[in-house]
Amino acid sequence: MRIQPQRFLLILSLLLSLWPSFSFTANLKFIDELGREVAIPYPPKRIVSLAPNITEILFSLGLDKEIVGVSIHCNFPEKAKSKARVGSYISLDFERTISLKPDLIIATGAGNTREMVERLEKLGFPTYVIFPKNFNNILKSIGHLGQVLGRDKEATGIIQGMKQRSQRVIELTKDLSRPKVFLQIGEAPIITVGNGSFADDLITLAGGENIAGKEKEMYPRWGMEEILKRSPEVILISSMNPRGDYQRVLREWSRWKMIPAVKNGRVHLIDSDLIDRPSPRIIEGLEEMARILHPERFMRQ
Amino acid sequence: MRFITRKKVIIISILLTILLGLVILFSITVGSVKVGSLRSITILLQSILGLKGAETETERAIILSLRLPRALLAGLVGAGLSVSGAIFQALLRNPLADPYILGVSSGAAVGAIIAVLMGLSSLSIGLPLASFIGAFLTILIVFNFGRQNGKMHPNTLLLAGVIIGSFLSALIMFFISISQKEELHTIIFWLMGDFSFSNPQAVYMIFPYIFLGFIFLYLRARQLNLILSGEESALQMGVDVERLKLISYLLASLITAASVSVCGLIGFVGLIVPHSVRLIFGPDHRLLLPSAALIGASFLIASDTFARTLLAPTELPVGVITAAFGGPFFIYLLRTRKVVKTL
Repeated sequence: MRIQPQRFLLILSLLLSLWPSFSFTANLKFIDELGREVAIPYPPKRIVSLAPNITEILFSLGLDKEIVGVSIHCNFPEKAKSKARVGSYISLDFERTISLKPDLIIATGAGNTREMVERLEKLGFPTYVIFPKNFNNILKSIGHLGQVLGRDKEATGIIQGMKQRSQRVIELTKDLSRPKVFLQIGEAPIITVGNGSFADDLITLAGGENIAGKEKEMYPRWGMEEILKRSPEVILISSMNPRGDYQRVLREWSRWKMIPAVKNGRVHLIDSDLIDRPSPRIIEGLEEMARILHPERFMRQ
Repeated sequence: MRFITRKKVIIISILLTILLGLVILFSITVGSVKVGSLRSITILLQSILGLKGAETETERAIILSLRLPRALLAGLVGAGLSVSGAIFQALLRNPLADPYILGVSSGAAVGAIIAVLMGLSSLSIGLPLASFIGAFLTILIVFNFGRQNGKMHPNTLLLAGVIIGSFLSALIMFFISISQKEELHTIIFWLMGDFSFSNPQAVYMIFPYIFLGFIFLYLRARQLNLILSGEESALQMGVDVERLKLISYLLASLITAASVSVCGLIGFVGLIVPHSVRLIFGPDHRLLLPSAALIGASFLIASDTFARTLLAPTELPVGVITAAFGGPFFIYLLRTRKVVKTL
């Protein structure tokens, strides 16, 4: 097969454009939260985030122009909405990603797929994966990202603030009795949060007792009978579906007046972005939850 | 069982109704929460008589607001799917026919999925309504294509149903690929067939279609028998074959549409119940239709009861149970008895 000069030049230039440029930044080796070794040009100047919590962390660390691409679900802060979109948790637009020429791609172990990360690696993009599993892990992840991005000071500040606020919540609820809580994240089928989910961790930190907290599944599917049996005192409805009609969901619950939570009017809506997203705002979710569970202790500012 | 007398039909129907009653009682005493059998039955009897006993509000709610409506709904759907399955098998003269063969189910699925994507809850009446409309439109389209020169040919109808069903399946795949995580759950469970989030009020909505459809078809049972033994001979006997076929297809499709709209695509019931009943009681529709309805009702109630208790507190979709038990059971039936040749 004769190689035409034009085609050869085209392929060569394509290869060269994909080659990471070493000239101005040094490559540092980091170990991500899955134990993978990732070589990153330090400090990274073009970053793609594959999940909304990562985007929030990046903005909170003071980055903005360095963020060149985000996922379609990234909705906070406002500025994130004007960034280029590269795909969803499970489906990535690789062409768009390549065209953005990132130094670093950050993914989450709880959402993005392994295939996606491996493919990005094969394409030559350093991909750093975080995988926080509870509230304390979130603090650690913020610290790790601070290191990787050269924003250690900002990260420490955020972590300190979150620690203080969570300590305050724990102190204030320490001596109160724990109400039985049912957190609903799905309507049909009814899905709640079990051991290992962020929301479950928050319920415990906020001074409540998750009636599904001992279930081994992270997101158990229950029938109504089970909920009736366990008689929760507070029902939290997480607003996961942006098109959902939550007033109607509240009305549906009012049919079951034998549940203490319904009888006492303790059925509340809670923003799912605050309680199921491992980002700095999870502290707001914790405080909101504590306010709902122990209104007598927390006054609204 | 060759000679069907009216007395035989009545006796068997009464026996099967008793069986159905027992299955309903069984279903309300069993669940993920332990309410004693005696207590459950007492609660039921007391509510019928208008009394109130010593049980707790929770127990009353579980028995009367959860288990009983669910059993009644499952029974109605089971009866509907079985009867329409029997009709399709007879008219299409195809042992593989089930209520979904003419694509009506795919139309129902598209209607339901659109409703879910628009944010309608499965607990509202909107979702079953949208599903029924989808099914109904599909019936119109398939029937339009299935008629040749004003006649209904089984093969043409089948082809039309399969083709339109495939197109609708493509639509379903498209909708699934663009839906969010939360919607996906609902959609997938609906496609498998599930009672756990059906609206108990839906019983009132679908009862007329299923009950009246059944009555109409039962009144024409003898004529359906004649069609089975040959359309020409039936014509000679004075049966308006084309009109009867049209009405029967229409009614069977409406029954299917009504059944599917409240709980999704439960598989196997419409296929194996008519066959099993035919193997036991014979192909005479005067006995087949009521028996299929009653046995289908019992079967689906029992399956749904297992579905919600096998892995309690997790509830399985009933479609999983009907597929898992239905298939092997049917193979067993085939091996121990001869498949009826009249199909």
